[in-house]
Amino acid sequence: MAEVEATNQTLLVVGGGMSGITAALEAAEAGYDVILIEKNPYLGGRVTQLYQYFPKLCPPNCGLEINFRRMKLNPRIRFFTLAEVEKISGEEGNYNVTVKLNPRFITEKCTCCGKCSDVCDTEIDNPFNFGMDKIKAVYLPHEFAFPMRYVMDPSIVGTDEAKKCKDACKYDAIDLDMKATTFDLNVGAIVWACGWTPYDASKIEYYGFGRYKNVITNMMMERLASPNGPTAGKILRPSDGKEVKNVAFIQCAGSRDQNYLPYCSGVCCLASMKQSTYLRDQYPDCNITIFFIDIRALDRLEDFYTKVKEDEKVTFIKSKIASITEDEATGDLLLEGENTNTGERIQMTFDMVVLATGMVPNSLDLESAPSVSKDEYGFMTLDPNNTGIYGAGCVKRPTDVASSVQDATGAALRAIQSVTRR
Amino acid sequence: METNTSYDPSFAREVFENVDSGEEIKMCMQCGMCAASCPLREHMDYPPRQIFSMIRAGKRDMVLNANSIMMCTSCYTCQVRCPRGIPVIDVMHGLAHYAISKGILTRKDTAVFGREFWQQIYKTGRIDEKDLSRRYFFADGIITGIKKSLQMARMGIIMLLHGRMKILPEKKIKGIKSLRSMLDKAMQTGKGGSEV
Repeated sequence: MAEVEATNQTLLVVGGGMSGITAALEAAEAGYDVILIEKNPYLGGRVTQLYQYFPKLCPPNCGLEINFRRMKLNPRIRFFTLAEVEKISGEEGNYNVTVKLNPRFITEKCTCCGKCSDVCDTEIDNPFNFGMDKIKAVYLPHEFAFPMRYVMDPSIVGTDEAKKCKDACKYDAIDLDMKATTFDLNVGAIVWACGWTPYDASKIEYYGFGRYKNVITNMMMERLASPNGPTAGKILRPSDGKEVKNVAFIQCAGSRDQNYLPYCSGVCCLASMKQSTYLRDQYPDCNITIFFIDIRALDRLEDFYTKVKEDEKVTFIKSKIASITEDEATGDLLLEGENTNTGERIQMTFDMVVLATGMVPNSLDLESAPSVSKDEYGFMTLDPNNTGIYGAGCVKRPTDVASSVQDATGAALRAIQSVTRR
Repeated sequence: METNTSYDPSFAREVFENVDSGEEIKMCMQCGMCAASCPLREHMDYPPRQIFSMIRAGKRDMVLNANSIMMCTSCYTCQVRCPRGIPVIDVMHGLAHYAISKGILTRKDTAVFGREFWQQIYKTGRIDEKDLSRRYFFADGIITGIKKSLQMARMGIIMLLHGRMKILPEKKIKGIKSLRSMLDKAMQTGKGGSEV
């Protein structure tokens, strides 16, 4: 595997989320050799964690499956999971990239029979579900994982537990001696699609995220609603597993705030409205209140806002909530703020609160990498004097899946132009 | 609130030009964080957010006569939390100062207390609790002074017992002259920086 053929006509795509997959596929289908690397053990990125897309409310797995099939059929794409860029040197047309391949401890022989997981007793927090449940230390990242192969958590390697798992495998697919390796690639252009991370809501001290169990983030809500999530798709509040009757969404939780995340991520309003439909589908009597500063549903997406607003169980209140207090006995949450339309003080109690947190671009900083220009918020900008590395998707601006796909297609074209200029 | 929808920018201009930190309200996006954070919200005619909105709408009399602008205790909760970084406290104090300079004294007690506090700092560089209370209580004459003093007598005794108030007068700080020149300079720089 360490022998990876590449030339200065090859494109490297960093990040195997929706943007990276799209850029890689578009370039490969146009006839260029592409190498795609992804740091998670699976492809698909954040999109795999979503339950439904707005505004059509369809499942993301459908689109991902189509893309994975395109990848399987196309010999021009080679991809590596658990891989990270360590160093980039050189210049447009002739980059030398050092890639670090972290050990999976499970080889291609894996058939996903699950025997190793059955005998494993050690459990770890499930990163795919934001730690809301536990998984075995030998696990399939999620049931649609691509590549469909188990992965072993490095924490149990070297213990008897790991040996027990190895002995349980009938196919000899567990290699406990696997080490991190590095390899060098020569590529002509790079598409940088390393995506985003949800803003750390525990920084907003007055909302009590991390202290109050029933205060969750919008990404956690996606997992709660997903059939392959911690509650098998039933939205239950985390403190006691009760059904919810009265849920609040707090928009701009940290966003548009100099003290936290100064910009608007542009998708959280729609995400919350979408999540209100999850609740309404499961609980016909559930009351939903969305606290907002401004609802930003741009362009055709305003139709979705209009649709949700028609629902009499969904109330929109113009207010930035100033504090959340937990009733320790019941786990209920008291929200306080000012209704800025009426000037009245808000004091309302809810079963569960969803914080609509924004998107933070993943870091571009690499040791001895050619400098990539960034704006004041850390998003990648196109520097006309520094071509050869092109951003795609949320690393350039916070945006939804459809726009990421468009942007990634554009980035693929730029990368192709870059190598054909040589 | 009034339902007058006409828009008059002249008061907003007046505030931007004459009120200390008055221009900062241009940053306000009307989220209501200040109102919800304010411990004195229940006692104010209008919370800071509404005051800023009323300035933009040209409600001169309502703003300058509002008790809110003289009620700020400088607890800084709103200022720390303001998502647009508006120094809400400075604006509120600036408005109070401006209202007083226009002869509007909605909360006379607050103005008197502020004046006496300032004068004592200017004179000795520190606050003498008993002297400040005496000046504040007796500002409206001897009879109200005695009444107010008797109301607070218990508090006075507790403060004496805990050493929070001394029987002998407080001494001037070292370097009072340097402090005064700093205060003089500050008075000159602020908009409408006249003595209260």
